[in-house]
Amino acid sequence: MTNSLRISFLFLSLTILIVTTGCSSDDTVSPDNGTSTTANTNNTDAAGPVTEGAATESVEYKFGDLVPEFTPPTLEEIEAIEAWTDKPVVDVYQLMEQRKENEVAMMTAAEVLAIRNNTPEDNDKIVSAMGTLAVDGDVDYSAEWNRHTAGDIKSTNPLMSSSTAEFDVSGLLNMSLFTFDWNFTPYGNSAAITSWKTSSDGLMDLITVRDDLTWSDGTPLTAFDVEFSYKVILTSAIPIPAVRSGTDQLKGVKAYNENTLVIFHNEPLATNIWNMLFPIIPKHKYESTIADDPTLATSPEHVELDENPVTAGAYTIEKRVRGQEIIVKRRDSYFMHNGEQVRRKPHFETVRFKIIENPNTALLAMKKGDLEEMMLTPEQWQSQTNDDDFYKFNTKSYALEWVYYYFGWNFRSPYFKDKRVRQAMSYAFNHQELLEKHRFGMDEASTGIFHRTSPWAPPEAPAAYQQDLDKAEDLLADAGWEDTDGDGILDNFVDLDVDFDGISEGRQRMPFEFTILTSNRPDRIAICELLQENLDQIGIRCNVKPVEFTALQDTMLEHKFHAVFAGWGTGADPDTSENLWTTKAIDNGRNYGCYSNPEIDKLFEQGKRELDIEKRRKVYQQIHLTLWEDQPYTWLYFRNAYYAFNKELRGYNYSPRGPYNYGPGESTIFKPAAMQ
Amino acid sequence: MNQTNTTNESKKSPGFWRHAWLRFRRKKLSMCALIVVLCLSLIAVCSPMIAGTKPIVCKYKGNLYFPCMAYFNPDWENPIFQKDRFRKRYPKNLKEKDPESWAIWPLIFQDPYRPVRDNEWGDRPGNPFNGGKPSSLNLFGTSKGKDVLAMMVHGTRIALLVGFVSTGIAAAIGIVVGAIAGYFGGWIDIIISRIIELVMCIPSIVLILALIAVIEKPTIWHMMAILGFTSWTGMARLTRAEFLKLKESEFVAAARSIGAGPFRIMFRHILPNSLAPVMVPIVFGIAAAIKVEAGLSLLGFGAPPPNPSWGTILNAGMTNYTEWWQIVFPGIAIFITILAYNLIGEGLQEATDPRLADPKD
Repeated sequence: MTNSLRISFLFLSLTILIVTTGCSSDDTVSPDNGTSTTANTNNTDAAGPVTEGAATESVEYKFGDLVPEFTPPTLEEIEAIEAWTDKPVVDVYQLMEQRKENEVAMMTAAEVLAIRNNTPEDNDKIVSAMGTLAVDGDVDYSAEWNRHTAGDIKSTNPLMSSSTAEFDVSGLLNMSLFTFDWNFTPYGNSAAITSWKTSSDGLMDLITVRDDLTWSDGTPLTAFDVEFSYKVILTSAIPIPAVRSGTDQLKGVKAYNENTLVIFHNEPLATNIWNMLFPIIPKHKYESTIADDPTLATSPEHVELDENPVTAGAYTIEKRVRGQEIIVKRRDSYFMHNGEQVRRKPHFETVRFKIIENPNTALLAMKKGDLEEMMLTPEQWQSQTNDDDFYKFNTKSYALEWVYYYFGWNFRSPYFKDKRVRQAMSYAFNHQELLEKHRFGMDEASTGIFHRTSPWAPPEAPAAYQQDLDKAEDLLADAGWEDTDGDGILDNFVDLDVDFDGISEGRQRMPFEFTILTSNRPDRIAICELLQENLDQIGIRCNVKPVEFTALQDTMLEHKFHAVFAGWGTGADPDTSENLWTTKAIDNGRNYGCYSNPEIDKLFEQGKRELDIEKRRKVYQQIHLTLWEDQPYTWLYFRNAYYAFNKELRGYNYSPRGPYNYGPGESTIFKPAAMQ
Repeated sequence: MNQTNTTNESKKSPGFWRHAWLRFRRKKLSMCALIVVLCLSLIAVCSPMIAGTKPIVCKYKGNLYFPCMAYFNPDWENPIFQKDRFRKRYPKNLKEKDPESWAIWPLIFQDPYRPVRDNEWGDRPGNPFNGGKPSSLNLFGTSKGKDVLAMMVHGTRIALLVGFVSTGIAAAIGIVVGAIAGYFGGWIDIIISRIIELVMCIPSIVLILALIAVIEKPTIWHMMAILGFTSWTGMARLTRAEFLKLKESEFVAAARSIGAGPFRIMFRHILPNSLAPVMVPIVFGIAAAIKVEAGLSLLGFGAPPPNPSWGTILNAGMTNYTEWWQIVFPGIAIFITILAYNLIGEGLQEATDPRLADPKD
C-alpha cells in the first residue's frame, strides 16, 4: 500500500544526516535550519556543500544543461540485449508482514496500553505489541492522524525539499520507483513498477513502470514524467537544494515509451541504486511553464501548483495554514484504477501536521490529545512523561537509532594534528558520567562510525574509551605537550594556522587553549562543559562557545574551528560516509575536520566498486577500524529514538532510522476500527 | 553647592550631596534597597569564600596558597597544584600529598562550574544529576548536577559587574558627549545630537547577538562593552540639557571672566552641578543592564559557559519545567536585584530634586 509514501526520494545516495541541531523535538531550533534524520547530505539550506541552491540566480536557463553528453541506445538495441539480471520488485508492506509472522508479540496492544514504560522490559513489550500490523477489517479507514512537526514547509514541491518537515510532508504526496526496508536493502517498489532488471555489465537499469499510475488530476503517470523530472533536477538554473546530489552521478535517464524506462550509469557501482531515488514531478504541469520561471516558485502558475500540487502519491494537499498546520487527504485515484483496487489503501483519510516549534508546548498538546505523535527529548522521556496526564492518552517507546554524537577535532587546528593528542582527548573525557548522567543511562556508547548491529561494523567492536587521566597525560607528554613555563597550562611548539587554510604560518610555542563549538542547547553545552572540566584537570584550557545553528554550520564548512560537538545520523548505504571522511570531501562535502588519509580514500573507492556483499563488508569494517584508531572524532554515544504515540495508534515499528524513514515505515500505522 | 537654602544663619548649612543623603536616608524602602545592593556586592566580592571547592587559604609543603582566587581568574591558581597532579580536587589530594597541610574551606563545599562527585569531600555523596531537588547538601537544588546556590553566589559577581561596568562605560561616554554638545552648542551640538539619534537606532540585543557570533572567544566583558557602547544616549541627552541650562548661569560667566578654559568650566564647574539628574538614569541603567544580561543568558547568548550567570540557570530550567528550583531561585535573585536598583534610583531622584524637598530642611 503506501509503502511508497515518505520513503520516496528521501534516500539519495549521499544520505548522511547531520544532527548538529537535529530535528523536530530533539532540538529547540527549527528544522528549517537544521537537517534531520531524513535529510540528505546537502540538506541544510544555508550551507550545502554543493552550492547549487542560492548560487543559481545568475545562471542562464537552459533545460537539462547538467545532463551529461550521452546518446542512449535505441529501444531495439536495448531489446536485443539478453543478459539481464532480474532485481527484486516487492511490496515492502508485505515484507513487514512476513517479518511480523515470525515475531510473536509478548502481549496484546490492550494489555501494554495499561502498563507504563519504566524499564527496558516494559519497552520491549510495548514495542512488540504496538508494532503488530493491522488485520483485515480492523482498520478505521476514516481516521485522522495528528502529527507533530517542529517547523513549517517552504514548498510542497518534492524537488525543493530540504528540511525534515518538507521531507515528511512530500513523502506522503509522492511516489517512488524504489524503496528499501529496515535493513536498508533496496527494492523496486511494486506499487510503482512491475519489473526491474540490470544489465550484466551493471551500466543499465531497465524499469517497467506500471500502467495504472495516475496523477491526482487524473493524468496518467508515465516513464516520461521520470525522464522529465531527471532533466529538471539537472538544470542548473533551477535552485534544487538537496535532491540533485546523487542524481547527478547518473549518466542518463531515457523513457522509450509510457512504461519503459532505462537508467544509465557511468560505472557498475554498488551505490548506483541510491542515485536512482529521485522524486518525480508532473511533466504535463511543468513542461510549458518552467522556462518562464526556473525558480519554480514565483510565477502565478507555479504558486498555484505549490498551493495545490498535482501529486503522484497516496495523498494530496487539503489545506495549508502557514505556521500552523498542513492537512493532507487520501486520494482514491491512488489505489483505485478503473473501478478496481490496484494498490493498498492508505490507512488514514487525513493526516494533519501540526506545526509546534517548542518541544514543551508540543508535549502539552500531546497530553491534551491534540497531537498523536511526537519525538521526545531524553529529558522529556525521563521526567515529563511519567504522569497520569501523559498516560491518559499516550504511551511511549524507544528504540536504538544509528545517530551518533562526537567531539570532532579539526586537523587544521595546531592542536589536533597529532594522533596521540586526539587519543588523549578520548582518554581525558569522562565517558561514564556522560552516559550515566547526561544520557540517563539509556544510550549506548559509540565505538565508531557504524553501530555494532550494523552489517558494516566489524564483528568485534573496538572497546569504548574509558576515562584515564594518567594515560591522557602520558600521551600528551609523548606528543610534546608539557607545562614548560610553569603557568599550569600545557604548551608545545606547534604549526600555526590562524586562518585554518591548511597552510602553516610558522612554528611557535603555544599554550593548549582552544574553543569547542556546539549548538545552543543546555544539554549539549553541559556535555561540552564536562569536557572542559576534564581537560582543565590535566592542564588544558577549553572554552565552550555555543553558536546558533546556521552560524555553526557555516563555521564548520569553512573549517574555522578547533573542535566541535555534533552528531551524524546514518545513510541507507555505508558509502554515504564517504562524504565525511575522504580527502575530496574537505572541500566538497562535510569533512569539517579536514581528516585526510589516503588509505581511507582508497577504501571508500573500493567499497563503492565492490559488488560482492561479503567483500564489501570487509572494506567498511576496515574503514571503521582505521577511523577508530585515528580518532578524528572522540565518539560519544548513539542517541535512541524516543517517541510518544497516542494510544489509538498501532502498527509502528522502529528501524535504525526511527519509526518513519524506511519502508514501509509509517504506512503500517493505523487506528483500529474497534476504537470508534 | 549654591542651591541650598539656609534657614539658620548661625548653623553651617549642609552641602547639596549631604542634604540629598539626609533626605535619602529617610526613605526606608530606598535604604533597604541600598543595604540589599551592598550585601550583594559583599557576596560578589566574597563569592569564592562562600561557595567553592578550592581552599580559601591552605598551607602546602611549607607555603601558603590561596587557590580560591582561581574563581576570579584561573591564572591566579598556583601551578604547583597542577604540577603535583591535584587535578582540581583539593580535599583529599592535600592530605595525601602533604599530611602536614592545612586548609580553610569555603562555607559551602560546592562548585559553580561543575558537579561535586561522590567521595570528593570525605564520603559525602555527589550531587544528584537529574531532578536534584533542594536538600541539605544542595540548598537550592542542582542544575545538571551543579549546585544552584553556588552558581547563584558566583553569578552575583557577573550580575553586579555587568551592571557597573556597562553603565560605567555608558556614563563616561554619555556625560562627556553630552557635556560637549551642551556646552559648545551650535553645529557641534547638531552633529552630536544626530549621532545620538543614530546610536539610539541600533538595537543592542541584535548587535550583541551578531558580535557574539563573530568573536572567537566571547567573554562577559565583550557583552558589557557592547551594552555600554549602545546605552549611553539617554545620559548624553540629559547631560546636554543640563549643560545648556547651566552654561548661561552666573557662576559660569564668573569662571569665564577670570579666564577659565572651556574644559575646566565644563568639568570643574558645570558638571558637579549637573550630576544629580544624571545619577538617576545611571542607577536605572544598572538595573536595565542586569536585566538585559539575564535575558541574553536566558536565550543562551549571555555569559559564555561555564560562567554561572543567573540567566544561564534560568535557561537550563526552561527546558524542564518540573525542576522549578532552577527557575524560582535565580528568578527571585534577578527580581530583588533589579527592584533594589530601581528603588535606589527612585530614592535618589526624590532626594536630589529640590522641588520635592521638605521645606523644613
